Amino acid sequence: MSMGNGAFSLYPLIPLTSHAKYRFPSKFAINKSSSLARICCSQNNTPQQQLNLSVLRFTLGIPGLDESYLPRYIGYAFGALLVLNHFVGSDSSSVTPAQLRTETLGLSLAAFSAVVPYLGKFLKGATPTDQKSIPEGAEQIFVMSQDIADNMKEDLAWGSYVLLRNTNSISVLISVKDALCARGYWNTPKDLSKENVSDWFRKQTQRIGFSNLKDTMYFQQAADSELKEMVPVGTRSLLVQPIPEAPERSSSQTENSKGFVLLASSIDYAFTDRDKAWIAAIANKFRGGAVP
Amino acid sequence: MEAGILRRLVVPLNPPRCRFTSRRRSIRASLNPQGGYQGPKPKREWVADWVSANDGVVRSLPIYVGGVSLLAVLFNRTISGIAPVADASSSQSRADLLTLGLAVTNILNGLVWLSIRPKSISVVNPDGVECRRIYHNLPASVISELLWAWESLSDVTCCRSLVVIYDGICILQIGFADVSDSNGGEPMAVDANKLMKGSLYNGVAKSGSQSYLANLSLYPGKSELPFLPSNTQAVILQPLGDKGIAIVGGDTIRGFTTSDQAWITLIGEKLDATLAKVVNTMSLTVEEKS
Repeated sequence: MSMGNGAFSLYPLIPLTSHAKYRFPSKFAINKSSSLARICCSQNNTPQQQLNLSVLRFTLGIPGLDESYLPRYIGYAFGALLVLNHFVGSDSSSVTPAQLRTETLGLSLAAFSAVVPYLGKFLKGATPTDQKSIPEGAEQIFVMSQDIADNMKEDLAWGSYVLLRNTNSISVLISVKDALCARGYWNTPKDLSKENVSDWFRKQTQRIGFSNLKDTMYFQQAADSELKEMVPVGTRSLLVQPIPEAPERSSSQTENSKGFVLLASSIDYAFTDRDKAWIAAIANKFRGGAVP
Repeated sequence: MEAGILRRLVVPLNPPRCRFTSRRRSIRASLNPQGGYQGPKPKREWVADWVSANDGVVRSLPIYVGGVSLLAVLFNRTISGIAPVADASSSQSRADLLTLGLAVTNILNGLVWLSIRPKSISVVNPDGVECRRIYHNLPASVISELLWAWESLSDVTCCRSLVVIYDGICILQIGFADVSDSNGGEPMAVDANKLMKGSLYNGVAKSGSQSYLANLSLYPGKSELPFLPSNTQAVILQPLGDKGIAIVGGDTIRGFTTSDQAWITLIGEKLDATLAKVVNTMSLTVEEKS
């Protein structure tokens, strides 16, 4: 009797708090050099092997206030004060050109400060500051085609688990030739029975034609407005990664894709370049083919 | 005081060797005679792409903008003939103070951005020979899974050597390995039993969780890993259940990010499940024969 077989298919629901980021209220500089002890300890403090990918951030300790947006708030506040000063602080007749120059400079600086946090999101080293939110009306499901090999079932269960846990996604759909696995939050119609859910997914994907994609497709924001019925409401970014055909089979014809992996997330710009590289590596697992 | 985002480890996020297989702005969906993709295509994200491409410029932008505005305010005050006194009595002074406040905000924000720039650390090419040794008695599906793990690690992370030991046997040794003096130019073999008696393995097996040696040269246990190239920079020791260990060697100090560590842990769990099944079936066959 095999012992490790059922391990991954028994993880039905994945708690979304496994991605919670910890904030340590601290006003002091953080020592940036990483030591062996610090990294080991930060991984040993949970009983199961859950890795807490915690990020240390400066914070004023006010809950709900995101400090990276501070320049924006300061820009708005000082800009408003400048306008107030112009109209209320002196009579309009006695406004000197020098003051007008200063005020123009001040207002353009305020506008720049307001834009600065938006630019900062795309710099390397920036972490997404929004928390993942659970879309309304969607329920967590775990559906897999039944008539496939056990090996494939285990791979699909593990693959979907890993993708949900290690990326910022809340829903994942893997479709490999005839096999299909959907996990996470989806807006399936309520009256469908369990067996028909995978058929519903298959119909939707055929309608949109995901299987015919050759390159990765990445919607970075507001994806739910364009792919309404399939993805849960509140999906902001969407990534579709085609699974390439094994190399030796495509020698005679153009490379067809064997399926795709679809990831949906509730935050903008959810997947960094490194995330996408790992997602492509997971998609390669389903490529199959003989040992090279 | 300005607050910002700080990464806990200063790690290179984009190593100079471009090994990512997918790019940020891939939006093409090609047509196919049988139907093709009919769904929507994503819009190009001009700002995001431009900022990522000009990272250095954008990082220093707030400081320059703030500094130039600061000087401009003082200059404006002097050439307008107003005494450079910082009192809030006239509306000109108030406007100047507000603008100065904004300039200082921008300078501080720029300093925070510069302080969180990932430090680029150079890659050190491993000093050894390529090798590829796989235990002979394994089913094809297990071999393809092991090779998939190696391909993923070497494509995405800075991993250049991978050794998998399970149940006292060296299952896989692939990538770069140190040259063995006694055997001519052959890659050095892994002595699984010796490794399993050593402190590195026992420490990892006891704690049951991954151990990341971010700078291997500082670590005295390096002598227990003679099969890795001598200038391996970083090593991750991932236990596979309680019977095995995977040793992942990288070519950059602190080259594995926290996300890489998480992925390696999960891949380790999968390999453990796969290898456990193999060991069970192999021991069952042995029992049947005897």
